[in-house]
Amino acid sequence: MLKPFFDWFQELPFSVMFRQSTWLFPMFDAVHLVALAIFAGAVLLVDLRLLGVGVKDRPIAAIFRDAQPWFIGSSAVLFVTGVSMLMGNGEKYYYSEFFWQKMIAVVIAFTLTFTLRRRVALAGEGRVRPIWLRATGLTSIGLWAFVVIWARLIGLV
Amino acid sequence: MPEGGGTLLTSLAGWLEWVEAFPSSAAVRESLNGYPALLSLHVISMCLFGGLVLMMDLRLVGIGNRGTPFRQLQRRLFPWQMVGMVISTITGLILVYGQPTRFSTNIFFLLKMVMILLASVNALAFHFSTYLSIDKWERSPVMPFGAKSAGVLSVVLWVGVIVTGRLIAYNWFEVR
Repeated sequence: MLKPFFDWFQELPFSVMFRQSTWLFPMFDAVHLVALAIFAGAVLLVDLRLLGVGVKDRPIAAIFRDAQPWFIGSSAVLFVTGVSMLMGNGEKYYYSEFFWQKMIAVVIAFTLTFTLRRRVALAGEGRVRPIWLRATGLTSIGLWAFVVIWARLIGLV
Repeated sequence: MPEGGGTLLTSLAGWLEWVEAFPSSAAVRESLNGYPALLSLHVISMCLFGGLVLMMDLRLVGIGNRGTPFRQLQRRLFPWQMVGMVISTITGLILVYGQPTRFSTNIFFLLKMVMILLASVNALAFHFSTYLSIDKWERSPVMPFGAKSAGVLSVVLWVGVIVTGRLIAYNWFEVR
């Protein structure tokens, strides 16, 4: 269904340049991974705290607010570098089932992060029962771990 | 290898070839599921270690997580950083064990190892110098020079480790 879009996408001038360059893809790939580390740090800071095993000295909402700019910033870098790599090799990704499964997980994870997880973290320990704090942290970690592992598998299989 | 030069390197190369011939080394590189599993675990543990080290570093530099005193971040995140480090070290060692000569001739791998060493020295140096006087500076709005520079160095070196680690897969050139 999306094949014509992918075909068009990978013939854009930027895509062609990206594909023909030896070092452009590796550089974007490396920046994507650095952004992932920051992203993971910002996510884990909050999720470990939700699980009750992180920086317990401070309220969940405070940890969440401090981590938020790094979460947003790294998400933006991941998006830009990710789309760039996709443009260069549309066909490869179109035929990778890991890519599609990863994208579905990304959409689910971001949706839950900006709705449920955000509300739970901001409401904090006073207004949400510990079991739900833990469930939220565990769901977030699980979904993002899936995304990371599936991303690694795109390049291998 | 030129005649008469680098006997140590020659014997190291010979030793690595010897290791590479082990059946267990071949088993690692020929394993169908083992290789993706090891790489996935290596990236997941990198997220745990690298992510949480960077979050701590941002606080040291003074640009992130400023609401949390450094000592709380350090104490609470340390166990998780260590879990990440142990898993990434073990999976990394197994990956190298499977293809020792591939890695020993890869410039990015060698650079990565040097940067891991430097980053570790930086962390230890900070721990046994500036960190000893944390009572004096933890509450101050401006971090002392020792803390800031350790934070900046740590970010630069660990980012370098991640970048060179990723570039190992792109063997544009090899050292011989």
